[in-house]
Amino acid sequence: MEKQLLRFYVNDQECELFINPKTLLVEALRDHLGFVGTKRGCDTASCGVCTVMVNGMAVKGCSVLAVQVNGMNITTVEGLEKDGKLDPVQAAFLDEGAYQCGFCTSGMIMSARAFLNETPAPKDTMEIRRGIEGNLCRCTGYNSIVRAIDAVAKGKYREGA
Amino acid sequence: MIHDFTYLRPGNVKEALAMLAQHRDDAKIICGGQSLLIIMRQGLVVTEYLVDIKGLDELNCLIYDSRAGLKIGATTTHRTIEKSLLVKEKYPVLVAMEEKLASIQVRNWGTIGGNLAHADAAGDPAPVLIALNATVTIASSAGGRSVPLEEFYPGLFETVLSPDELVTEVLVPPPPAHTATAYQKFNLLESDQGIVAVAVSLSVSDAGICQDARIVLGNAAPIPIRAKNTEKLLIGNKLNEEIFTKAGETAGEEADPVADIHASEDYRRHLIAVLTRRMTKEAWEQACQV
Amino acid sequence: MTANKYSVLNTRVHNVDGYAKVTGRATYTFDVKLPGMLYGKILRSPHPHARIISIDPTEALKLPGVRAVVTGKDTLGVKQGIWRRYPELCDEQILTIEKVRYIGEPVAAVAAITEEIAEQALDLIDVQYEVLPFVDDPMEAIKKEAPMIHEGVERNVNVTRHIEWGDVEEAFEEAEYVREDWFKLGGQAHMCMETRATVASYTSDKKLTVYTSTQSPYYHQALLAGVLGLRESDIRVIAHYVGGGFGGKFELDASQFCASILSMKLSKPVKIVFTREEDFVATKRRTPMYYYVRTGVKKDGTFCAREARVFSNGGAYTGMGATALYLTGFFHSFPYKWKAYRYDGYRVYTNSLPSTSMRGFGAPQAMFCSEQQIDWIAADLGLDIIEIRRKNAHTSGYEVPGQATIASCGLTQCLDKIEQWIKDRGKLPKNRVIGISAAGFMTGGIFNWFDTPYSFSSAVVTINYDGVVELHVGAQDIGQGSNTTLAMICAEALGVKLENIKVHSGDTDHCPADLGAWGSRQTLMAGNATKMAAEDAKKQLLEFASAKFGYNIVYDVDIKDGWVYNVARPERGMHYVDLVKEALRGKDGQRIVGRGHYTPHRKGMISPAYSYMVQAVEAEIDAETGKISLHNCVTAHDCGQPINTLGLIGQLEGAASMAAGYGYLENMPVEDGKVMNPNLVDYKIIRAPDMPECEIIEIDTYEPEGPYGAKEAGEGLTNPTAAALGNAIFHATGLKMKQAPIMPEMIVNAFKEKKKEGGTP
Repeated sequence: MEKQLLRFYVNDQECELFINPKTLLVEALRDHLGFVGTKRGCDTASCGVCTVMVNGMAVKGCSVLAVQVNGMNITTVEGLEKDGKLDPVQAAFLDEGAYQCGFCTSGMIMSARAFLNETPAPKDTMEIRRGIEGNLCRCTGYNSIVRAIDAVAKGKYREGA
Repeated sequence: MIHDFTYLRPGNVKEALAMLAQHRDDAKIICGGQSLLIIMRQGLVVTEYLVDIKGLDELNCLIYDSRAGLKIGATTTHRTIEKSLLVKEKYPVLVAMEEKLASIQVRNWGTIGGNLAHADAAGDPAPVLIALNATVTIASSAGGRSVPLEEFYPGLFETVLSPDELVTEVLVPPPPAHTATAYQKFNLLESDQGIVAVAVSLSVSDAGICQDARIVLGNAAPIPIRAKNTEKLLIGNKLNEEIFTKAGETAGEEADPVADIHASEDYRRHLIAVLTRRMTKEAWEQACQV
Repeated sequence: MTANKYSVLNTRVHNVDGYAKVTGRATYTFDVKLPGMLYGKILRSPHPHARIISIDPTEALKLPGVRAVVTGKDTLGVKQGIWRRYPELCDEQILTIEKVRYIGEPVAAVAAITEEIAEQALDLIDVQYEVLPFVDDPMEAIKKEAPMIHEGVERNVNVTRHIEWGDVEEAFEEAEYVREDWFKLGGQAHMCMETRATVASYTSDKKLTVYTSTQSPYYHQALLAGVLGLRESDIRVIAHYVGGGFGGKFELDASQFCASILSMKLSKPVKIVFTREEDFVATKRRTPMYYYVRTGVKKDGTFCAREARVFSNGGAYTGMGATALYLTGFFHSFPYKWKAYRYDGYRVYTNSLPSTSMRGFGAPQAMFCSEQQIDWIAADLGLDIIEIRRKNAHTSGYEVPGQATIASCGLTQCLDKIEQWIKDRGKLPKNRVIGISAAGFMTGGIFNWFDTPYSFSSAVVTINYDGVVELHVGAQDIGQGSNTTLAMICAEALGVKLENIKVHSGDTDHCPADLGAWGSRQTLMAGNATKMAAEDAKKQLLEFASAKFGYNIVYDVDIKDGWVYNVARPERGMHYVDLVKEALRGKDGQRIVGRGHYTPHRKGMISPAYSYMVQAVEAEIDAETGKISLHNCVTAHDCGQPINTLGLIGQLEGAASMAAGYGYLENMPVEDGKVMNPNLVDYKIIRAPDMPECEIIEIDTYEPEGPYGAKEAGEGLTNPTAAALGNAIFHATGLKMKQAPIMPEMIVNAFKEKKKEGGTP
């Protein structure tokens, strides 16, 4: 087995790794780079707690080999806050209490952020629900999360709003 | 745990084919890895070489031509197909199928080529593509060939691919006039794996007679199957409720389902019957309007 | 809705842990990494019942990177259990020595330098078993000829429970209509997002630090001391953030035990995290039950007699199963007045994964049977489903004979509200139907089966110079928001803003003992302790204020919203922060400390207080395929005084999602002792597009036993949904579904049966 040299960006920070090519993206982020905000929760790529963004697309970190993101931009939950200011999705989650135990929250927020980036004006709440369909939550029953995303979509957190 | 492997990353299709020709059974292809990585993590797949074709942009394309039809490159992601206005206009059933496939995360990284090559009996695209009469283009360093998707699966989790071959694209013929395709999978949760699925493609003549029918049953057998007896019931007839019902019953009998913890054999047959009846009716009503 | 008379209670606030959780800064046991840490894996039995002949770790120890292999013989071999007061129910050696009793039972554990090596080592441990006949159904296991699973336990019956009042035979004589039914209730997996996880670090000064995903750090501290032969206080349990519990994480599990044993052997930290599959297969689950219910009523719907018998599938060990067996029998009478009632419960050992507490604690099973049968009786007698319930509903002051006194009770108002909602809903879209269920639940348990010498809950309040209050509690936040709820109670009681409260929990070195988060106890019990501590501190502060103000003796001084004032002339006073500074000086630089505690005394057999609710579920049923989809879930809910508004909504919606799963999704077939779907592909958890809109209608009551009149919210809400769904199906199709979860194939088969019989089933 030959290790692979990888260079990619995590939250705009350049990272370099020399790793076993079988390393999953989530392992590279958590175990090699220390970004433990992203979690793992299953063996079958079903739960979505490992969701991060790769070049702006939501993907499951447990189902992507780190070698495949060479040269790409990864965004994790740690990268959402900018200059001490929470991302609107994070602020909305706080206002709606859209989390309980919090273990799914990082992945959920990343899915929500990616969804809103692609679909800033969802036509109804069912579209929002489909936007987070890949993320399981055992605590909230999802509705508070949908309310939070809806609030962002409706412009509640726009600058000057 | 994933077993160690040597990672190979070809820069283009030619290089990829050379690697496959060289390593043959010792190599496995990874593209999006949305199916492969799960089984590698379970230790069910062990390989010496992993050939990564995810970066092959040559195979990432979506082109429509009114003569040739739709060409989908093998490394095109599900999400690209799902979001394509072109595909939505020409083959709306493909978009509808993609919208309910797994999750957005899977669709963002997983590819149509990888999905078809994985040969999962419960896979969503195959039944729909077979109903649309799709073919797959296969390449190897020795040459290329074309195989109708219907003939691509000799058995469960098996394809006709030789170890040195690679799927490069899926071709869908241009939609015939007065044709509609309806598709539904039965599951407990919205985008869940289908317990069974049915895709029905019907063509209507100007005189209002069914002139072609392609009915594909998904997860009703180890591989997607055409319900040919059911199709015979329809072709040459003007369709009505009675025929829809008979079609359902016949499809239920043609199915060869396996029992598992989600459904017994009988229940699967029952679902096939209901879905076939409903999708035949839906396709017929749409085809009569197009 | 009455205007809020409180400053902090029942307002929408940010969860005190919210910032950490939304920024990914909350670190769970799953994230803990210590220097020199090793990784542990557990070897599990492939057989449901077998004697262990030998375990040979030689080959495993040869694998480079493996540091140790332990088996039961390397431990004290203590048979432990959480019902410590009853040694005969302490039946589980976590690393079993003589024999295995379920597929997945731990037989050995490995520590290695990587997780991968530890897993490879498992295959190299040679275990010789003598396979024994097994039995995995309680109705088979209770037969004389069944294999004996625990030495000396005849017919595999490990616990029996009996509840009775009135003269049941006489009451059945008086009844004008009698109905009897058998039901089969499935198990359910807790399916916490964070699987079982522990990092144990034993150091040569004979101290053990255990990071673990737990609902009760104190329980784990005490239980580990018992099985490891350590002094309780030499064990520190840390659980700052826990990724869900739902009743599955307050008993000792193999992650804590094996990590500790390995760490003690190596004097190095050892981390064990269960895979999702292990979490499904080898942790304890909701108790499956066979339920017999016979009910006698008058033609006008007055309830006379009920007789119930339960045979529960206990699995291989007792766990919290004894409590679940009692509670199911008790809540099976809820929320109605029965002239006579008799319940007999039998918990039967089987060779399958042990069953234990899971949110609802036997009540969801009880309601599935009771609430459906009531609708069937109402249909048989031509009675209205709300009216029959109203007629027999619990009321404030009612005594459940020999069991409980109901203080606050908003059940009738709940029924009224749901009746009104159904009326207002009007004509439903095609294929939609509404089903209802009533329920009630406990607010913490009174029984000291853990045999703790400590108060059930304790709290310490310490006020800093800047007015910030350090609140130390042993109550554990597992996502239900107890840190926030207790901070709110503290702020309200002290009269300050929520931002002034800093909560400390989840660390036995720094927090008082508390029984932890289960049985819906913390808002009431830890809440009372917190209120007492805050009031103690306030009293001390007010001594200084009174001295300073020198008002006439008839005037009261109080603190509200950070303002210390004369109650008769509120404009006269001073700022709380200024008072704190003066009090500190007055006490020679010592901070004001308030202490509080709570243990229920003389509160009946079950609980100090009971919540009530009535839920209506609007479902769509595809009669041809049996597919169910949910569209609305409305609950009229009496939890006394709501404290944490957002928390309450979250608990309602979360409970509904879990209860809906029990109703129609979370099938958990176990065949020949094997869990058939131990993964999230085949075990179906509800997702966002399938979750219905939920509405909550709060009923105003005041519970004298609870802090500010508060009762539980969140566990009781798991009780009605499966029953309400069953009732929806009954009203839509006439089918009586006697098995939970209700799978679509069952509906299709029930229709076929009905057709065959040509009549009502």
